This record gives sequence, C-alpha cells and structure tokens, in this order.
Amino acid sequence: MIKVQSVSKWYGTVKAVEDISFQLSPNEIIGFVGPNGAGKSTMLKMLATYLLPSEGTILVTDLNVVDHPLSVRRKIGYLSGDTPLYQAMRADKFLTFCGKARGLAGAELKKNLEWVIEICGLSPHLYKRVSQCSTGFRQRIGLASALIHNPPILLLDEPTHGFDPMQVLAFRELLQSLKDNRVILFSSHIIQEVSALSDRVIIINNGKLLGDGRLPDLAKQTGQPENDLEAIFTHLVRQSEVVNA
Amino acid sequence: MPEQTDRLSVREFFSGVYVVLSRELEAYFDAPIAYIYASVFLVLSCSTFMNAFFLNGVLEMAPFFELLPYLLIPLIPAMTMRSWAEERAQHTFELLMTLPLRSGQIVLGKYLASLAFYFIVLLGTLPIVVMLLWLGSPDLGLIFASYFGAVMLGGFFLAFGLFASGLTQDQIVAFVLATLFGFVFVLSGHDKVVEILDGLAPTWQLGTFFYESLSIVPHYTAFTQGLIDVSAVLYFLLMSAFFIWMNDLSLKRSKF
Repeated sequence: MIKVQSVSKWYGTVKAVEDISFQLSPNEIIGFVGPNGAGKSTMLKMLATYLLPSEGTILVTDLNVVDHPLSVRRKIGYLSGDTPLYQAMRADKFLTFCGKARGLAGAELKKNLEWVIEICGLSPHLYKRVSQCSTGFRQRIGLASALIHNPPILLLDEPTHGFDPMQVLAFRELLQSLKDNRVILFSSHIIQEVSALSDRVIIINNGKLLGDGRLPDLAKQTGQPENDLEAIFTHLVRQSEVVNA
Repeated sequence: MPEQTDRLSVREFFSGVYVVLSRELEAYFDAPIAYIYASVFLVLSCSTFMNAFFLNGVLEMAPFFELLPYLLIPLIPAMTMRSWAEERAQHTFELLMTLPLRSGQIVLGKYLASLAFYFIVLLGTLPIVVMLLWLGSPDLGLIFASYFGAVMLGGFFLAFGLFASGLTQDQIVAFVLATLFGFVFVLSGHDKVVEILDGLAPTWQLGTFFYESLSIVPHYTAFTQGLIDVSAVLYFLLMSAFFIWMNDLSLKRSKF
C-alpha cells in the first residue's frame, strides 16, 4: 500500500533523511522508532505530503505523493506530533470542519462523527473549546480528526504524547481494533510503547534506516533476546554510531 | 470526490473554498479582537466624518471616504496579521496543508472570509447614509460608487495583508510589513510625496511614475468622485489577484 524508495530529505545543507526504503502493507501496526531528531517526523511529513522528498519516490496506493497529493491525502489520516488544533473552536465544530474539508457531508458526515466520538471517547467534553480541554483530551481530538474519513492509512506522530497510563492502554486497544484492512504507522521514541503495540518495527537514527522487520527477525539479525526491543535498538544505534565514527 | 485524480471540478473547488471561508469567518467572531477591531474602525471613521460634517454642513460622505485609505493602513494589517502567522505558530498550518485541499482553495477561502468580515464592518457605517437621507437628498449614486471603491480598496489591502502574514510566523512582523505596503501604496499618491520624488530626480519623474503606476490614489479617487471606472476596477482586481497568487506561491515554497 505504501512504497518508499530511496527517499532522502535535505533541510538546506542538513540531511534529515538519507536513502530510506521500505514497504507497508495493510493489517499491520508498524512502529517507527528512533531517538529525537532521528528523522521520524520528517519521514511522516513526507508520507502525509506536507513535505516533498528531495530525492527518491514515495508511492501511496501506487500514487506518487508529488504528482497526486490530493488523492494521497484522501487516503491518509495524519496526526502531526504538534497536535495541530484550533484552540478557539469547540471540539465538535473542529471535527465537523475536518470532515467537511475531507469532502464528507450530510448523513455520511454525521455517521463518521458519531463513530469517531464514540471510539475516541470524546462525549464528555465535546462541546468545550479545544483550549479548555486537557492535553490528553486534545490528543484524542487530534486522533479523531485523523480518523474522521475512515482512512485506509493512518500516520500518527507521537500519538500517546500527553496520555495518562489508562489512556495509553485504551489507545493500544483502539489501534488494535482499527488495524484490519488498514496500514497504521506510528512514531515514538518510547521503546516500551513501540514494543507493546507493533507488529513490525522500523528503526532509524540520524536519518538512516537501521532495521526493519518483526521483533523475532530483528532479534535474529542482531543476536539479541527475542522480545527485547530495547536491546535490539541499542545494539543497532551503537553499531551505526561506530560505523559513522 | 474523485478517487484517483487531483483534478477538481469548479463545484468541488468552490466547495473547498467555502469550507475554509466558513471556518475563518467563524474564527473572526470567536476572538475578541474582531469586536475591538470593528469598534475602533467605526469610532474612528464615524467621529472624523461627524467632525467634517458639522464643519462643512454638506450632505455628502466625502470626508469619510477620503480618510478611508489612511484608516486602513494600520487597521487592515491588524486584521490580517494573525491569519497565516497564527496558523504557523499553532501548527495548524500543517493540518491545513495535509487536508485534501489545494493551497489555492485555502488562500482564497481565507481571503474571502477576511473580505466578508471587512464588508460586515463597513456595513456598520450605513447609519451615516440613513442620517443623510433623513436630513435631505444626498447623491446616492456617488455614495454607492464610493462604497464600491471602499470594498475594492479593502480587498486590495486584505490581499497584501494576507500575503505579508504568510511570510512569517510572527504577527508583529506581519503587521509591520503590511503597514509598510499600505504606506507605499497610499503615500505614493500624496501630492507632497510626488513633488519630493519628482524633485529628487527630475529627469526620471519618479514621483509621477509611482503615482500613475503604483499608487491606489488616482484609482480610488475615481470612485469617490462617483465614477465606476473600468480601469480602476481592473487595477484593484489585478493587484488583489497578484497578491493572492503570491500568497499561494509562498505557501507552496514551504514544502521544499
């Protein structure tokens, strides 16, 4: 469903992403893990068509993100790491705006609104202004805005930021319930979270791809314990730093 | 919505513009700044009009419309400065740019919302017309042409105000930049400025050149004299379109 082929991204003279390739298929939750500044957000922004790749090709359902940004955006639900919300708007009005901007109207808009309100647990503060909601609740509004058009691809940048432990558990259940026929790619620098949620892990550091696969496969490649993503991650990051040095 | 194409029909294009327009217009009235803005505009414009009206004792709105360009120099930037700058500061710019809308739809939606808000504020001056009608028989054709000119003028100021806002995430920088634009376009039509510039380089006649080609004054004055001149309408429409297009281009550049 998503093909990333030799993609690089330059910010001026700084290379944020370097020659990254991977493919994503439906029915998978993919964790995108790396230290802060590794290039995770840049990669997600390119997949969401917010940034253009400097080199390489990104295909989403065989559509090039550079040539067909609108068609790609219709298939993607994207939650940026900054949780962009209009602070002065009421939560329900904000979601209605996102739905309408995605071409929803009438009964379909109403149905999708009811669906995201239910699955994201928005009912208690639906009629409050976004600025009056807690950080965790704002994050849920952001998630609902990414889901409003029921997209086949979900890109989430640090989606559990601001969640309390109970909300993190609820979020994990939600993602599991959404993964059928859907690609879910989420980024995080919290290894335990990625380990608990992901069917597959992509590890990057300094803009370079260090590892891509299911935990058992990555463990075999690195000679680390099978369920220890932390050990695998540390091994790969240290190895890359030795190579760079 | 088409599934595999980025082409939009006219209806789809304007439906997207309308979604952005509605949100933006609602945002104007959600913030107290809109009410402060409207109050300041109406108090300043009506008080200066009343002053001139009682001094001259003539049933006309000329004092109001003659002062309008000078009032708009700081007031329009105060209205537009937050438009893009706030989107960038709140990170909602990223949200907008990842919605399945063309940047042109978003720019046009924002522009039309600001124009609608300006129009609503301008409607607040209609009691002056009612008062003049109550006192006698003012020239309604002249008043209509002047209001038409005021909308054209406001539309132009809004276009470069939004363009300035799109260049920065700092609202103060956006305000200063748009105010400078305003000064250039208005003061280049002021007699004394034209004389000074002509005097500086008599062979080049810079003052006259700027007056004829850049300034809003000769074009706007046609409206305040009761003429809806095609060249003046074209000047305002084309200049507004130019800055709307520049705004769109500046947003597209941010993807690289």
